[in-house]
Amino acid sequence: MGNPGGGKQVSNLINLIIPLIAGILLGYFLRNKKHLRLDKVIFWAIIVLIFSLGFSIGSNSKLLNSLPTVGVTAIIISVMTILFSMFFLKIARKAVKIE
Amino acid sequence: MIKYVLLALMAGIVAGYVGNAEGSILVVNFVSEHLFDAFLILLLFVMGLSFGLDKDAVTTLRKTGVKLLIIPTATAVGSILAGLIGGLILGVNPIASMAVSAGYGWYTLTGPLIGELFGPYWGALGFAANFFRELITIIITPLAIRLDKYAPVASGGATTMDTTLPIIVRYCGTGMLTTSFSSGFILTLIAPFTIIGIASLR
Repeated sequence: MGNPGGGKQVSNLINLIIPLIAGILLGYFLRNKKHLRLDKVIFWAIIVLIFSLGFSIGSNSKLLNSLPTVGVTAIIISVMTILFSMFFLKIARKAVKIE
Repeated sequence: MIKYVLLALMAGIVAGYVGNAEGSILVVNFVSEHLFDAFLILLLFVMGLSFGLDKDAVTTLRKTGVKLLIIPTATAVGSILAGLIGGLILGVNPIASMAVSAGYGWYTLTGPLIGELFGPYWGALGFAANFFRELITIIITPLAIRLDKYAPVASGGATTMDTTLPIIVRYCGTGMLTTSFSSGFILTLIAPFTIIGIASLR
């Protein structure tokens, strides 16, 4: 990681997998223990994360400068990409019966 | 929830803009890199924890199994086809717009890579289009879920393993954690290859 915009580098993806798997394993072993309240922690972690995502967007002058010239084309391609992805996933789900 | 997320996003953008204009590189780097990384790792750990604690979520994963590969594959095919058709409709180079869509929302990769392959105009477009994919996913997730349970995962593309993961899990439930993460992970892995592969079609 370490590049702006919350970007990731393929070589460092392992840094994201380790905490996730560690959490899953710990949770799995603790699942018969009394109820843990994690909602508040998750909420605040999301807020800080989204704030710093916004921060890296706002401080990225290259990105901000490119928006006026390419903005409309970019939004059209982006919206189409999202809609087609949703549509194809819906079809694929029906075909292989993913619940 | 989404109200607070958008407020945090806007506050962040304003603070980042001001921080950058003030030229305090240390603060900018700290917030956009170290703070982001630290909280992303914390969040992945805590979400993993709540997934492990949830007995139903583990059962769901067992039932889904190999079918998990279908989700990123369908997302990739949909994305690339949207780039082709979008390019033809807009009257721009359809190969380049396909490559832009094959970034799956990972704009920090797509911007520079497409710039290298197709020149600065497409680099900026690749950056912006993929940035919008992430932003739009954050905004529409609460609505998209009404359309289809998996729609936010399709929408987020490669971002569903980190930036959009918390929002998706919040709205789709803990059961979506591994689905979302693995889909984003696979799309992240294949993004550079599909972009370069599409560019070689010229």
